[in-house]
Amino acid sequence: MFHRAVRILASFEWSVIWDNRGPLWDGFKSTMKAGVVGIVLAYAIGLALGAVRAHRLPALNQLAATYVELIRNTPILVQIFFLYYGLPVLGIHLETFTVAWLSITIWGGAFMTENFRAGFEAVPNRLREAGYALGFSPLRAFLNVTLPIGGRIALPSTINTAISVLKNTSLLLLIGYPELTYVANNVQSNTFRTFEMFTALAIAYLAIVWTLSALIRFLERRLALPEAL
Amino acid sequence: MIPDWFRPIAEYMLREGLPETLRLAAIALIASVLVGVLLGTLMTLRFGPLRWLIRLYVEVWRGLPILVTILFIYWLPGYDIGPWHVQLNAYMSAALALSLWGSAQVAEATRGAVQSIPKEQHEAAAALGFGWTSRQAFVILPQALRRLLPPMVGLLVNIIQNTTIAFAIGVNEFLQAGTRQFENVTSGLTGQVAPSYAPFAIFGFVALVFFLICFPLTRLAAYLEKRLT
Repeated sequence: MFHRAVRILASFEWSVIWDNRGPLWDGFKSTMKAGVVGIVLAYAIGLALGAVRAHRLPALNQLAATYVELIRNTPILVQIFFLYYGLPVLGIHLETFTVAWLSITIWGGAFMTENFRAGFEAVPNRLREAGYALGFSPLRAFLNVTLPIGGRIALPSTINTAISVLKNTSLLLLIGYPELTYVANNVQSNTFRTFEMFTALAIAYLAIVWTLSALIRFLERRLALPEAL
Repeated sequence: MIPDWFRPIAEYMLREGLPETLRLAAIALIASVLVGVLLGTLMTLRFGPLRWLIRLYVEVWRGLPILVTILFIYWLPGYDIGPWHVQLNAYMSAALALSLWGSAQVAEATRGAVQSIPKEQHEAAAALGFGWTSRQAFVILPQALRRLLPPMVGLLVNIIQNTTIAFAIGVNEFLQAGTRQFENVTSGLTGQVAPSYAPFAIFGFVALVFFLICFPLTRLAAYLEKRLT
């Protein structure tokens, strides 16, 4: 038993990771490129539509709710395929990279909308009324009262969504976007060093995800509201 | 109503793909709840090393993209455990990967639910002469499980959606069934000429069926959540 374990351990060739550092680094950069664009745009969508939902702006509210429910209740992989294979039928031809960031943006935007809506709705009305009493316009009241407080409440859950957006970039392998999982999967199928390659891949993802999770815990402590509202 | 070229495709998807998706989701849900509730309860114990081990399990399987876990398990070469040679096929790899991810989610939710039960409940049960095991089984868990119900329904929605990731290793779930039929149609194998909008219709149909399954469940989860508070 012990000898077999030693033999298996000795058979690993970790050099396969160093030997393929060029492609792996390119894959990491592609993951980050799609991920960062997706996260930034998802935050923008979430802030705008979260405000629309929390303030129940007529018509726009219903549109935003439909968007959120459509995205939350269908698998993201189906959304990706729909954009990649379905849209060209309508004469809309998108590059792989465009589908890559667009699909995770649309998905993340729906979840960010819910995060920010919950945050904005948690801001008590009397704080906004205090703003109006000081002569704030509705927009100023949103920017100066609802956004800073509600945004702070929503922040940890939005980072969770951002982590999910980043993890979802791995699905882009299935439309041939050369991100990290795609490259690692290629290397392992060429070299048969499956265990080594996927271990390295898992460590890479966990390093990113755990760093962001630590950031959530840090922010939760730093931004904890001093008193119950 | 349904065009001729689409009827065999839809029938194949509903007959072959959908049961596969639902079966995979059912296996993953049952395994996730059983393992997750057990690990989550054990995580509330004061015994440090056990808590850290479970915490590591939870953070690893929650942190990895499910696609990476699925590929990792699927591509691992067969190995011997005692007299048995273990080589997971695609279906079992997907079920295992989804269960690892799901049980991590359930464990974390269970830990939160168990810790949200007031300390007095433990003390009152102890005063009545309940030991640790019966205290957990008859007093704490019944209350905690009621609080767990809404997140469990949410988890079911996520598991159903995430079964589509098994597409990557060729499991014939609903999305795979749709894609295979799409390829058959475009290569002329079915003897019927598909219109150019076929991919749009097929992936739209996949999204629609998932929506019809998931939307009532998310409403149910929201309703249960509201009734609890």
